[in-house]
Amino acid sequence: MSIAGILANPASGKDIRRLVAHGSVFDNQEKVRMTRRLILGMERGGVERIVYMPDAYGVVERALSAISPAIPVTPLETPMRNTQQDTTTAAEIMETLGVACMVVLGGDGTSRAACKGTVNVPILPLSTGTNNVFPFMGEATIAGLAAGVTASGKLPIEQCCVQVCMFDILRNQEVIDIALVDAAVYDDVFMASRAVWRLDKVPQLFLTRCRADSIGLSAIGGQLRSIRPEEPRGLALELGEPADASVTAAIAPGMFATVGVRGVKEMLPDEIHPIHTAPGMIAVDGEREVDIHRGDAMAIRLNTAGPKVVDVRRVMDLSRKRGLFVR
Amino acid sequence: MTPDKKTLVHMYETMNKIRMFEKKLQDFFAAGEIPGFVHLYLGEEAVATGACSALTDKDKITSTHRGHGHLLAKGGDLKLMMAEIFGRKTGYCLGKGGSMHIADLDLGILGANGIVGGGGPLATGAAFASKYSKADTVTVCFFGDGASNQGTTQESLNLASAWKLPLVFVNENNGYGISCPQCKSMAVTDIADRAAAYDMPGVVVDGNDVLAVFEAVSEAVKRARNGEGPSLIECKTYRWRGHFEGDACTYRCQEELDEWMGKDPIPRFEAKLVESGAVSKKEAAAIQDRIAKEIEEAVTFAKQSPFPDPSELLDNVYA
Amino acid sequence: MPEKTYLQALNEALRQEMERDEKVFIMGEDVGQFGGCFGVTQGLFEKFGEERVRDTPITESVIVGCAAGAAASGLRPVAELMFVDFIGVAMDQLFNQAAKMRFMFGGKATVPMTLRMPQGAGIGAAAQHSQSLEAWFMHIPGLKVVIPSTPYDAKGLLISAIRDDSPTVFLEHKMLYGVSGEVPDEAYAIELGKADVKREGSDVTIVATSLMVHTALAAAEKLKADGIEAEVVDPRCLNPLDKYTIIESIKKTNALVIAHEAVQYAGPGAEIAAMAAEEALDYLDAPIKRVGAPFCPVPFSPPLEKAYIPDADDIVAAVKSIR
Repeated sequence: MSIAGILANPASGKDIRRLVAHGSVFDNQEKVRMTRRLILGMERGGVERIVYMPDAYGVVERALSAISPAIPVTPLETPMRNTQQDTTTAAEIMETLGVACMVVLGGDGTSRAACKGTVNVPILPLSTGTNNVFPFMGEATIAGLAAGVTASGKLPIEQCCVQVCMFDILRNQEVIDIALVDAAVYDDVFMASRAVWRLDKVPQLFLTRCRADSIGLSAIGGQLRSIRPEEPRGLALELGEPADASVTAAIAPGMFATVGVRGVKEMLPDEIHPIHTAPGMIAVDGEREVDIHRGDAMAIRLNTAGPKVVDVRRVMDLSRKRGLFVR
Repeated sequence: MTPDKKTLVHMYETMNKIRMFEKKLQDFFAAGEIPGFVHLYLGEEAVATGACSALTDKDKITSTHRGHGHLLAKGGDLKLMMAEIFGRKTGYCLGKGGSMHIADLDLGILGANGIVGGGGPLATGAAFASKYSKADTVTVCFFGDGASNQGTTQESLNLASAWKLPLVFVNENNGYGISCPQCKSMAVTDIADRAAAYDMPGVVVDGNDVLAVFEAVSEAVKRARNGEGPSLIECKTYRWRGHFEGDACTYRCQEELDEWMGKDPIPRFEAKLVESGAVSKKEAAAIQDRIAKEIEEAVTFAKQSPFPDPSELLDNVYA
Repeated sequence: MPEKTYLQALNEALRQEMERDEKVFIMGEDVGQFGGCFGVTQGLFEKFGEERVRDTPITESVIVGCAAGAAASGLRPVAELMFVDFIGVAMDQLFNQAAKMRFMFGGKATVPMTLRMPQGAGIGAAAQHSQSLEAWFMHIPGLKVVIPSTPYDAKGLLISAIRDDSPTVFLEHKMLYGVSGEVPDEAYAIELGKADVKREGSDVTIVATSLMVHTALAAAEKLKADGIEAEVVDPRCLNPLDKYTIIESIKKTNALVIAHEAVQYAGPGAEIAAMAAEEALDYLDAPIKRVGAPFCPVPFSPPLEKAYIPDADDIVAAVKSIR
């Protein structure tokens, strides 16, 4: 039986960027409506069963209150702690259940939490915000359709996905965390509101990918280079003054920063890039998260064995070529 | 934005002051030495401290029935507060108000409030007065998850937004309206979601992280001072004690309490403070000792103060 | 002296106080360009602008609470509720917040707000737009309750209410807005808590408020034909209540009838009667009589509404039952 998974994070879309920048408030009711469309798409895509991460708000249960899919949609049996750990644990469980495609509703942070659980299950991250790089920004119905087709096994899985790079965060040579898009060294010990918008606090910035048309911290690198997510290289920037070049980039919705770039270095897989700040924090995918204690040897390493990300357009093109929706 | 060292240390002092003040009240209440009822702020110290640290002396607040933390964080005097709670003539309100009605208008404290949702409309008035008088002051309205359902709160959010008032709504979501859990009293998990209905920014922060509260409130205050209108900041937190002292708390489990006590905002902040070098462990201990002493002095002051004379009963009914 | 209507007198008081003191502002439903539901704030929006004459949403709690908060923060708001009946929505902000702030805070807060509310029946507005609720407000320590009956009193009392440092409930009667009387052009204040003898007489004291002052005066004319000279005393404020003037009148007439439009049961007259019984029984030679509305909501249909509102004959009958 083919299984697809849903991980919807009710906490995404409410961080301080609504105040410091011009981010939209993404309410849970909208996530419910998106999930509804997602489930209808998945069912039509041909998957036979859907499992989901339960959450305190009941995003999926509420979605089901207005639709009646013919396939079973059941919650995972997992403890709810209302933290990021829920997403990580749920992704781990999905892998053991043989889920063939998991859809993550959230932003870069939620996707990262899921990938901490597994990078083996093809992931279709669906954006519920305006400040994201990793997830697909598009209509949930179509995302559901692509996820359903992918999970149903009608198409060769390797043609549906792109395996992307990620960062390993190392403390004393041990992997303690990951980042999907960016890792920013933050010269302050306080996690506070987690988001990063004061770039004078960021001496080092590491990017797995960058494009000139993206938003967030990776947009800084995006003005200097273009690196596709699957390319086996990354970018290490040293920020601050005195600098040779200064870069202006949209680091949050409606928010631009001009920052001095003192050094630009390409990162190759498995190279160790040490962090020079202690104590402090590392913001992973835009959120201050990892402590740097005095005396820790912290480093960043590009890992090419990152998650397999479902490419919605490619899946739908393949579906067309195979006439999946034509009789 | 991280505050300077002086502010960081002040935050640490304030959180400890609230913690020790409330613990003292807990003991005295149990011993039957405090009349009426008290609603303790234990566990929620980071919210009041973070929010009030983003304000100047001229800025204003409206508080709640669980107000001791707000008042102390806004600069309330320990002795005058303690004496008031003990019902003494030397207290903030000459013994007329008690725990739920302490105010200090000189410090911009428009009063604790015995009515859930009572403070919102008053806060709009205070904020309107700032705007009307072109004073560069901001009002913070503290309100709980229970109050967020009151019509007064919704009316206040609406008016504040329609009139672009310099007002910051700081919601303290401790998960329970008296005994009723949030999931039974509202269909949303995030009160910040309601901001969208009034066209204002709504943000969720960890209410047990003093700097998370500080950062968010600072940004909202900046917005308010720039004339950009109100914001709603929801601080997720938990009260360690019952709704009131004497509440048996049959509506929640020990596991939940333990989990939240594990997120105690004070040691969390202290560890980071020490790591950042803002204070040493020794200095932190010295601060705690000093505050403990101040609280003892406040208790002595309160206990040695006279009760009000019945002849004062009718004073101050009218101006 | 120029003749003005009650409504014009109120409007003039607002205008003059706003000219005198920048801290005075007006807020309420449709008080701006619309000029107020009954027209009391007409022209003020044009003169003072939207900063000082503020239309609010139809949310009474926040109207009253915002006024209280602004007053405690140094302004002098004059808030209007479109009908007194709407105070139920906002009662907490009035009686728990505004009224008690000063006392609760040990005298540290000053709440100089005025809350204007039209009340009374007579226009077919039915049960939720016609009540007379002064007894509610009289019962709350901390509130002053002002209830003018003439254009002259309306102006002088409103000016005093605005200048007063305590929260003041100012009750206007809808049926009085069009009543004319002499009103000086210049600003003047009538001390709150000073009754006015509207008609002198020797045989019976009729304490009447608001519209009932006029009804009592009509009744007095009828009684005069029967040889009874009634003295009509208008307390003008129900809190503070001018006991002295009422008792002095009782000393002269030895009989007391109280007339108000509020429901008689537990109405304002109950307090006045009790006061007279406690403090002036020795001067009374007949039972105290009250004339008030019957114990039912205000009805809609004109004949029913007419039956509901006490009239001059009711007062005459009450007087004749003791004189």
